[in-house]
Amino acid sequence: MIGFILKRILWAIPVLWIVATITFAMMHLVPGGPFDREKKLPPEIKANIEAKFHLDKPLPVQYALYLKGLLRGDLGPSYKYLGRTVNDVIADTLPVSMQLGFLALLVGLVVGLSAGVASAVWARTALDKTSMFLATAGISIPNFVLGALLIQLFSHQFKLLPPALWEDARHAILPAAALGLAPAAYIARLMRASILEVMDKDYVRTARAKGLGFWAVLWRHVLINAISPVVTILGPLTAALVTGSFVIEFIFSVPGMGQFFITAVTNRDYPLIMGVTLVYAALIVSANLFVDVLYLFIDPRVQME
Amino acid sequence: MKKTILVALLLLGFLVFAIGKEKAKAPPAEATFRMHLASEPPTLDWSLATDNVSIRVIENLMAGLAEYDKDLRPKPAIAEHWDVSPDGRRYLFYLREDVYWTDGVPLKAQDFEYAWKRLLNPETAAEYAYFLFDIVNAAEYNAGEMRDPAQVGVKALDDHLLQVDLKKQAVYFPAITTFTATFPQREDLIKAYGERWTAVEHFVTLGPFRLEEWRHEYRLTLRANEHYYEGRPPLDRLIFYVVSEETTALTLYETGDLDRVTLPPIAIPQYRGRSDYRHAPFLRGYYYGFNVAKPPFDDVRLRQAFSLAVDRTELPRILKGGEIPATSWVPEGMFAHNPKIGLGFDPDRARRLLTEAGYPEGTGLPEITLSFNTDPTNRLIAENIQAQWKRNLGVSVQLDNMEWKVYLRQLKEDTPQIFRLGWGADYPDPDNFLNLFTGASGNNNTHWGNARYDQLIADAASEADAARRIVLYDEAQQILTEQDVPIIPLFFAAQNLLISPAVKGLEINAMDLLYLKKVRKAPL
Repeated sequence: MIGFILKRILWAIPVLWIVATITFAMMHLVPGGPFDREKKLPPEIKANIEAKFHLDKPLPVQYALYLKGLLRGDLGPSYKYLGRTVNDVIADTLPVSMQLGFLALLVGLVVGLSAGVASAVWARTALDKTSMFLATAGISIPNFVLGALLIQLFSHQFKLLPPALWEDARHAILPAAALGLAPAAYIARLMRASILEVMDKDYVRTARAKGLGFWAVLWRHVLINAISPVVTILGPLTAALVTGSFVIEFIFSVPGMGQFFITAVTNRDYPLIMGVTLVYAALIVSANLFVDVLYLFIDPRVQME
Repeated sequence: MKKTILVALLLLGFLVFAIGKEKAKAPPAEATFRMHLASEPPTLDWSLATDNVSIRVIENLMAGLAEYDKDLRPKPAIAEHWDVSPDGRRYLFYLREDVYWTDGVPLKAQDFEYAWKRLLNPETAAEYAYFLFDIVNAAEYNAGEMRDPAQVGVKALDDHLLQVDLKKQAVYFPAITTFTATFPQREDLIKAYGERWTAVEHFVTLGPFRLEEWRHEYRLTLRANEHYYEGRPPLDRLIFYVVSEETTALTLYETGDLDRVTLPPIAIPQYRGRSDYRHAPFLRGYYYGFNVAKPPFDDVRLRQAFSLAVDRTELPRILKGGEIPATSWVPEGMFAHNPKIGLGFDPDRARRLLTEAGYPEGTGLPEITLSFNTDPTNRLIAENIQAQWKRNLGVSVQLDNMEWKVYLRQLKEDTPQIFRLGWGADYPDPDNFLNLFTGASGNNNTHWGNARYDQLIADAASEADAARRIVLYDEAQQILTEQDVPIIPLFFAAQNLLISPAVKGLEINAMDLLYLKKVRKAPL
C-alpha cells in the first residue's frame, strides 16, 4: 500500500515536468509579452524591466532558471503583482478556491447521489422523469446563467442571501450552489444509470432470491458496486472545483485562484501562468491518486500493482 | 459499509473546514466609504504603480509636492510654494515643515530626492521613470549611460528645500509633481524591507489615510490618518472591494454594500434619470489611426475622405454613455480644447476626394481592413463605422479583431491599414495628448511624421504665455486632423457613476482622480 502510493508520487514528478515544459513552450509561442502596453514603454525602460525579470536572456536559459527555482519550490515573481511572488499569490487565493470547491463538491455529491438513487429506485415514475429533466437542464445551463438566476432570486427577490463578496458562511451559499449544481446533475444521471445496470446483475437477483429485503439489497449489494463510476470522475472533478472557477469567482467576487487561469494569460504573467497550471496539474495527480486508493476499499477486485 | 461512513465523514470535515474559516465582522458605527476596484492593485509602491487601480489607492494614502484643484490645475500640497527661474529651467520647491510619516518621522526634502532617483534607477525598472525625463541627466541615468546619481538634476538643498534642474523649459512640470510616481519615499524602510516594504506591517505613508488591512484579491481597508498635515479627514474608514464584474458591483450598490459604482454601459439608460446618477467628461480619446507608410493610405486625400465620411454623432447614440464626438484631438475639459478644428461630417466632399485619389465610388481600391482588439464596444464602433463608410463612400471594409497583447504586437511589427487605439491623460495638459503623434513618440503607430508639427509641440511645451500656447496647439491640431490626417479622432469618453446620497463632498474630475480626504458620510 505504502509502496504503491510512493511509486505513484514518484511518477508525478515526470508528469509535472512535462506539464511545465509544454506550458513554458506554449506561453512563449503566443505573440505579445508581459510589458506590451497601450502606452508603449521607452526602449531603455523596457530593457530595464526585462533585465530585472531575466527576460533579456535566451529562452533556454530562462527555462533552466525556471526549473532551478521550481526545484527549490520557488515559482518566481509575478510580473503583474509587483513585489509578490507566485507562491504568495497562490497561498492567498488557493485556500479560498478550495473552500468554495469543497462546498460545491458537497452540493454535487449530496444532491447528485440522492437524486440519482431516488430516480433509479423509482425509475420511470414522475419523480424519475422530473429529476432527470432537471438533471439534463442542470448540465445544459452554463453556471454563469445559473449564478445570475440565483442572484436574481435569492438576493433581489427574496433578499435572503448576499449577491457577492466573501465575508461569512452566508456568502458561500450562492456561489457553491451555482458551482455545484452542474456536477450534481451529472452525478445524478451517472448514478441512476449505474444503479439500474447493477440491479440487473445475477448477484443482485441471487440476493433477492435468498429473501433479502429490497432496501438491504440496495444498500449492501447495489450501491457499493454502482458507485464506482462516480468515484472515477471524483478525481478530476475535485481538482477542477478546488482550483476555482473563473466565471463563478468573477460574478460573485470571490477572491479565489480561478481568475488567474484567464487573467494570467491575458496579462502574459508567465510565472503566474506556470504556477496556476502546475498547481492544477499537481491537484489532478493527487486527486487521481486519492481516487485510486479509494478504489482499493470499494472494489476488492482492484489490485495494487 | 465502514468505507461509506468514512467517505461521508471526510466530506463533513470539508464542510466544517469550509465554513469555519470566515467570521463576519460587525461593522462599528464609523463613517465608512465603500467602493469597488476593478482589479487587485498590482502594487502600492508608487515608484512602480502605473495602473489606475493602484493609483486610486495610493492617491488617498499619500501626497506629493503639488495636487490638482477641482479644475485640474496644480496647487501646492507638501510644497508650500515654488519658484521658477527666469529661463524656466530651475524649480525650487519650499516644503511644509509640519508633515510627518505615519511612524512619526518628519518628512524631509531628501525623501523626494531619494524617491525620484529610485524611480530613475535602472534597477528599480520603473515604467513611469520617463515622467522625470525632463530633468537634467535623468534619461541618461535611467538608460545606464551615466552611472552617478549625483549628476541627476534633483537635490535637497536642506531638509525643506528641493531644487530641480530641467533640461529645457517644461511649463507642465508642476503638473508632473502631482503624479503618484513622484511622491516621496523612505530610504531607510525600503532598504530594510526590500520589495516587502508595502506590506501592511511595514507600510509607512503620510497622506489623509493609512493602510490598515490588505486582503489580496479581495479588500483593502484604509483608516483616517490622525496626524495628516491638513487635519484628520472626516471619514473614519475607506473600504475598497475588488469586484471585477461591473454588474456585480452594481448589484452591490443596489443592496447598499457600496457607496460609489461605475455604471456598465448597458445599464446607463436605465439609471440616467436617477438623482444619484453622475455624468462627467473623462480625459480619454478614442481614435482610428492609418498606416501612412503603406498604400493606399499613403495618399492623404484618401485619409481625408475616410475621416469626412464618418458622422461622429452616431457614436454616442450607439454607445449610450454620453460620449463626446470628436473631430480634433485635445479633449474637452483640457486646456486648448478646440471643437472647431478637424474634419466634420461631409459625405459629398469625401466622395470628391475619393474620386480625386483615383478611386471613384471606391472602385480600384485594394481590400481594406480595419483592425481592433477584441472587445464588445470596439466591435460595436467598428461595425458602425464600417456601415458608414459603405453608405457614404461606397467602400467595403473588412473587420479584423485580435486579443489585446497580440494586437499590440501587430501594431508594432506590421501595422494594419486602419487600427483603433485610445489615449488617457497622464497629466491634464495638451502636451500629453499631442506629443503622442510626434515623430519621436514610441506610441505613434501611424508611421506619420511632420517636422512642422514636431516643432510646434516642442515650442508649446516651453511657452509660458497661455494665449500663445493656444495658437501653437491650434496649428498643430489643424495639421494633425485636417491637413495630414494620420488619425481619425472619434470621441472622448465620459464617466457614468452612481454615488450614494449619504456621501457628501465627492468631487468628480475629468482625470477620474478620487481624492477622498474632503468627503463626508453619516456613520454606518
